[in-house]
Amino acid sequence: MRGGQTAGFASNLRAIHDAPLALFSHVVIERDMRDLLRWPSFGGLCRAAMAALLILLALPSAAESPPGGTRGEQSGSELWRQIRQGQAFNLSGTTSGTPVLVQSEGAAWRALRNGPISTYGGWLLAAAAAGVGLFYVARGRIRLSRRSGRTLPRFTHAERAAHWFVAATFILLAASGLVILFGKYVLQPVIGVGAFAVVASAALQGHNLFGPLFAVGIVAMFVLYLKDNWPRAADVAWVLKGGMFFKGHVSSWKFNFGEKTWFWISSLGGFALAGSGLLLDFPWLAETVQQLQLAHIVHVIAALAVIAASLGHMYLGTIGVEGALEGMTTGRVDETWALEHHDLWAKDVIAAEAEKAKTTTPAPPFVPGRAPAE
Amino acid sequence: MDIIGFIEGPLWYFSATVFVAGALWRLAGILRFGRKPDLSVPRGSALAGAVRGFFLHFVPHGGFGRRTAFHLFAGYLFHIGLFALLFWAAPHVAFLEKRVLGFGWEPLPHWGFVIAAEAAFAGLILLWFRRISDPVLRTISDADDHIGSWLTFIVMLTGCLALQESHAELRALHMLTVELWLIYFPFSRLMHAVTFVFSRSYTGATYGRRGVTP
Repeated sequence: MRGGQTAGFASNLRAIHDAPLALFSHVVIERDMRDLLRWPSFGGLCRAAMAALLILLALPSAAESPPGGTRGEQSGSELWRQIRQGQAFNLSGTTSGTPVLVQSEGAAWRALRNGPISTYGGWLLAAAAAGVGLFYVARGRIRLSRRSGRTLPRFTHAERAAHWFVAATFILLAASGLVILFGKYVLQPVIGVGAFAVVASAALQGHNLFGPLFAVGIVAMFVLYLKDNWPRAADVAWVLKGGMFFKGHVSSWKFNFGEKTWFWISSLGGFALAGSGLLLDFPWLAETVQQLQLAHIVHVIAALAVIAASLGHMYLGTIGVEGALEGMTTGRVDETWALEHHDLWAKDVIAAEAEKAKTTTPAPPFVPGRAPAE
Repeated sequence: MDIIGFIEGPLWYFSATVFVAGALWRLAGILRFGRKPDLSVPRGSALAGAVRGFFLHFVPHGGFGRRTAFHLFAGYLFHIGLFALLFWAAPHVAFLEKRVLGFGWEPLPHWGFVIAAEAAFAGLILLWFRRISDPVLRTISDADDHIGSWLTFIVMLTGCLALQESHAELRALHMLTVELWLIYFPFSRLMHAVTFVFSRSYTGATYGRRGVTP
């Protein structure tokens, strides 16, 4: 082994004890093991020969005065059993993380992440996309019967700002997260190992940076939208009548049962994503590596669930239902749309608007050159 | 010369030259307009008005505070974040020292960089949302406004994607977007980063001469 390799291997072992890096330490260890297995150079052979000579010269003196017994205070098997079972040691130079030499749960975490989660997660996303496609084929675009020409206020400026802020960060996070999770299987075979290393590095940095913004946005969105997303009696009727899966419209308040389901999936999933993501982004907040592994598993499962559900939300909010997107872009929806999709809410809003019109004095007509009356 | 060498070499010098020459050309054009002769008796100091106008417009006044709260918050969030990133991000300080100025200064620590980047991204997203959602702003916005916003966003995004500083390709991608931004800057409303000083001062001086607080 060359001197540089020895130093590199030692520093990699040190990295294992640093919690943030320990999660991915198998990669660097595997690389070093490959380096060790390479055919040695002539210089390496010379150094190995010199080392062997020194060991031979030292053997007699070592046999005369073994430090604490030739095999130490404990047998080798006992020592390695302790290491294998996660025994913590006092290590010099360890400033953070848990001083555990072999952290066996890492293998279980890696097997879970690269096995069932990746496999079933991929199928979940494929099923969600197929579900949206099937719904489009079966139901087509749900069109407005006619445009009334009158609009009703649906979302405030703050509600729309929170929605688009979360949407923008979510799209960036979902894209980069999918590259991190599936890129090795989907992108790497196509673009090669070197190019994928670049893409993965970019995805990881972007993901880490946009995470905190999403966390702030999802909390703001939850606070702003909560009041209209509590279950109500009309939701039962909506479910019993099959919601929007069949022709015709079912009565609902501002949000129907499907929209409320999306709200709770995205909010609770978002909180899980934000909490676990902050732990992964700032790993010194965790006390053990196992907490980081658990956070990672929670993060991936929540992300897959929210991304899968978001496909339905994005479809219905844009091309699936005519007139729906206007509510989120302009803040107002056509009165016909409101009455057809959210009649209970629309009747309330129409009544409130009529009441407001009665109590509001219309502005006097503008006459150029004349100051408005006080 | 490979593509990375081209981006970090000749293209960088070309874009920096266009940026400096273009900005100076625009400024010279503005200054050549001069000002209309004002024959009225001055009721106050134009210079004091210019200074007052420049600083007063950093905060809303005269009853506009509530209406501009969103714009004020998002605007400061973005501009302070971007300013901090531009001049205190460690890779930028190293670049300026090595390639432009020959001297450097203490950069932001990593946590400071993260906060500045979060603020800049949050501010820019909110400002762009306001641009597309506010009826008046949407009407008066043209392609230049949107290109400027998106180009700035892409420059910031590629910079953050290269944060690991371990791939020359990502650094070159960031450099390329910066160079496009530099070339676009003098011929767009991005010039407001320079011209705001003149416009505020001019307005302040005009009102100051009339004895009115701008």
